[in-house]
Amino acid sequence: MGQHGEPGREHARLRRWVYLLLFLSLGGWGQPCAAGWLSDSWSRFDRYLATFDPAGRFVRQPIEKRIPALTFKGFYRQWSDILLTGNQQIGFRDKDFRFLQLQHLLEIEMHYQFSPHVELTNVNHFLYDGAYNWQHAAGLYAPRRTETMRVYHNFDRIVRELYLSYRTHSFDVVLGKQQIAWGKMDGRFIDVINAMDVREGVQLEASDFEYRRLPAWMANLTYFFGANSLNFLWIPNFEQDRNPVFGSPWFSPRLPPADTVVRANEAILRGRANAAGDTILRRKRPSAGDWGDHEYGVRLDVSMEPLTWGLIYYYAWNKNPTNFVVGRAVEDGATRLLVRPRHTRLHHFGLTADYATAFSGVPLVGELPIVLRVEGLWTKDVRFADFARIQAARSGDLNGGHVTRDTLRAAIAVEFAFPGNTAVILQPSLLYTFHWRETLGSGFGGAVGDEWNLIPVFFIERPFRFTRDRLRVSFTATPFLSGPTRDWQGVKTKLIASYNFSQFITGRIIYTAYSSGDRTDIYGQYDKWDNVGWEVSYEF
Amino acid sequence: MKKALAIVGSLWLACSSLVGWAAENSARVKTWKTVEELTEAEKRDIDLRTETPRDPQCPYLPAEPYPFQPPYTAEEMGYCSMEFPHISRWSHIMADAYGSLTSGGYLNQGITIGLNYYMPGSGMRGYLEHTAPGQEYYRLVFYYTYPPENWGAQELWVLYRTDQQATTKLDYFTYFPSLRRVRRQPQPRRGERFPNSVQSFDDIVGRDAWEFSWRIVGADVLYETVRFPTTRPSITLTDAGGHLREVPATQLKMMGDTYPFYTADGGVPCYVVEARTRQDWLPHYPASKLLYWLDRHYFYPLRIEQYDQAGRLRVVEVRIAKQENPALEDRGYAALITLYYDLSLDLMSYSVHDAHTVKEWSETDRKTLFGPDFMRRGWLMYPLKTHSLVRTPEEFYLRPLLYPDKFPRERTIEVAADVAARIQAQEAAGHLVFGAVGTTLTGP
Repeated sequence: MGQHGEPGREHARLRRWVYLLLFLSLGGWGQPCAAGWLSDSWSRFDRYLATFDPAGRFVRQPIEKRIPALTFKGFYRQWSDILLTGNQQIGFRDKDFRFLQLQHLLEIEMHYQFSPHVELTNVNHFLYDGAYNWQHAAGLYAPRRTETMRVYHNFDRIVRELYLSYRTHSFDVVLGKQQIAWGKMDGRFIDVINAMDVREGVQLEASDFEYRRLPAWMANLTYFFGANSLNFLWIPNFEQDRNPVFGSPWFSPRLPPADTVVRANEAILRGRANAAGDTILRRKRPSAGDWGDHEYGVRLDVSMEPLTWGLIYYYAWNKNPTNFVVGRAVEDGATRLLVRPRHTRLHHFGLTADYATAFSGVPLVGELPIVLRVEGLWTKDVRFADFARIQAARSGDLNGGHVTRDTLRAAIAVEFAFPGNTAVILQPSLLYTFHWRETLGSGFGGAVGDEWNLIPVFFIERPFRFTRDRLRVSFTATPFLSGPTRDWQGVKTKLIASYNFSQFITGRIIYTAYSSGDRTDIYGQYDKWDNVGWEVSYEF
Repeated sequence: MKKALAIVGSLWLACSSLVGWAAENSARVKTWKTVEELTEAEKRDIDLRTETPRDPQCPYLPAEPYPFQPPYTAEEMGYCSMEFPHISRWSHIMADAYGSLTSGGYLNQGITIGLNYYMPGSGMRGYLEHTAPGQEYYRLVFYYTYPPENWGAQELWVLYRTDQQATTKLDYFTYFPSLRRVRRQPQPRRGERFPNSVQSFDDIVGRDAWEFSWRIVGADVLYETVRFPTTRPSITLTDAGGHLREVPATQLKMMGDTYPFYTADGGVPCYVVEARTRQDWLPHYPASKLLYWLDRHYFYPLRIEQYDQAGRLRVVEVRIAKQENPALEDRGYAALITLYYDLSLDLMSYSVHDAHTVKEWSETDRKTLFGPDFMRRGWLMYPLKTHSLVRTPEEFYLRPLLYPDKFPRERTIEVAADVAARIQAQEAAGHLVFGAVGTTLTGP
């Protein structure tokens, strides 16, 4: 049910643009094979780009010459995603926009070395997303709720990292605002230390975690003994996840109320009320001034080549608050709940391991090197909203509206190195909620909308010889199996072609599709969110 | 008609180009000899047998203990040349400036600081006598400082001696600042070139002589290996003390300044030996054979040619070496500049091992620096500098000479017409010439 009268024509026009873009982007691949003017011009272009590094030449080098102890670097990245479907109402959303993002990100990274052992690091991000300004869309109004969706405008977001490190052979002390990535695998299993800006929702990829993690102020101490290490974290500064909000491109279409209602209702927009009319009180968050509210983590890594393994424990807060029902009122015959979002304590226990070997005499390929990775996180005391209990509270049996469960998320990955620099990864992941029941909502680490989810990811990537490996293409399929109630929640497929224009400039074209599954399923709800993106990155 | 003319034209161009690169070395008299052409005096130090007594414990090794005494079989020369892989067989640090260039001028370069810990003492002897198959013998840490995209990326290579049972050659870990985690990677396929490079894993870590069958092909005198273009008259090199010096390209000798066996006209006498891939050791290996030009005295490989499964020359590797570890005397030579050329892709890669410093690692260093976890710290403990990158595509090294006239019975060389034309243009200009065949070839 499109809002505009000619979705077919619009679709065709869009396809033409996509084809043109593909042609322009990929047209140069045949350079070594093609003869004539085009090849010669491309050669000139290549040689020009080989030394094209204006920011390096006019900014980085002069700064580093003036301050020899300083390392200065950065990048500018423009990345855009455009929907392949026309404007239409999907669930509760006015999907009347085409650009999911038009993001411009400038990163400036500096390292000042006071001595061989002491260094100060600072990473700054300047981000602007034109999606909210450069297209007319009633469905995109998220900056009314939070301006950071459009532009990073405050210290918290601009100064991403600022820390002082002191290193000796056997000891590291890193103090300040930083991000930590625990784990060895793609995806988030024991990578749970920092909160995440999940503005892209289901489209957030592991390759973007670096820019989407939300660094926190902490003390990070590591003791190295032999090839092993013991890492302690003390995190007084709590950061919560930032999820898609009303009026942002990836806000779930299955969540009420409709955009027309939200736009007109400041309380819902601001998160002070929900669709049922309940009052949402101010979120209670852990305090940096209270030692009892701090987070603590410990990680042991052991290297016993060809096996390496590690264990973690993290005494943390849930990065997403749980809604606690704290009161009930009847107004005009309708029952309204009083809800207080609160972060709750979690105990994370994790393990990670990897092992490598090479098989010889494998038919067709001869030698076949492989790597096996395993990772798991068991989380205790996760609060799940329980709709039966919420209903009971609404009916007068006042209770918190939630239950406590343990969850497990784990994965095993096998990576193969096939001929032609072809990498293949098979990575089945499991999300599981212990003692699950149908009335449960979602909770950290647990299955989405079910007792268990099984996500067998398949990934293949290879460079192309005729482009002298400047072109790489990868394909990822992420099917989402589920049980015992939903069975199948759709599949996400991603095709990426990346091309090195020079050692400073890289371009990527990304096609992402969400197929099958029901309108309430994790991928099924985004059935009309298939998109093509492009990304241009210049590093200096 | 037009098509026929085009074909004739292309053939003419190809023929004239082939004549051009065939004549590339015609200025010199014949420098090479087959085995049959060697004099008795020249044969005095070589043993032409291909079947020799075997070591009773380890049958794939010769019975004669290493280091061997003359006369040398081809196999023994192969073992001696194992002293000199791309990365030296002793503990050291260095700044490795490397890069690749396509025929169109796409230049991709990098710098990595290498911290290298060779475990079984220095040289081959420790490898042969103190390293059992399946046991590790070398730990290499690479810290990338250029280009900006790779700044802070690191790799750890843990190398193992292999045999037919223990086939894992490498434990391979990477760290990327953008991932902030150490990741174990599958070991690279040994004979397969790295993306956007001519170099393969085996080119870097060296090949074990027992995986090949050896035969002496003849002798030769080399006068040039790595060649500089006229557009780059000098190179900036860094010594072990960190001092920079501008070295004129003409002053760079193939075996360095201290090598005592140059001929009067500056050549290096070499044996030419063939290493044919043993299918029982390396099935599906991309190279069917390699030809080595080994200097006659230390068996340093100044030129290595790799042939594909169809027997055609695929890759040429040439080196400029330097005495970097005087304590090891004749075994202390290391690659200073190495150039690789893939004929089928018309792709070149180079590597300059700059600021080479012999290093005796302390016990603490050994324990901490060379483990996967160390990479997470992002600590560049030895910030060595190198200024040996190529500034522009036009200043890249010349394609190595192909010597189509040498050992024609042993060497099958097929060069595409457009590549032959570029080689001819390069030889005429004294620098690389870019652009398409049939259009105006452009250069600096």
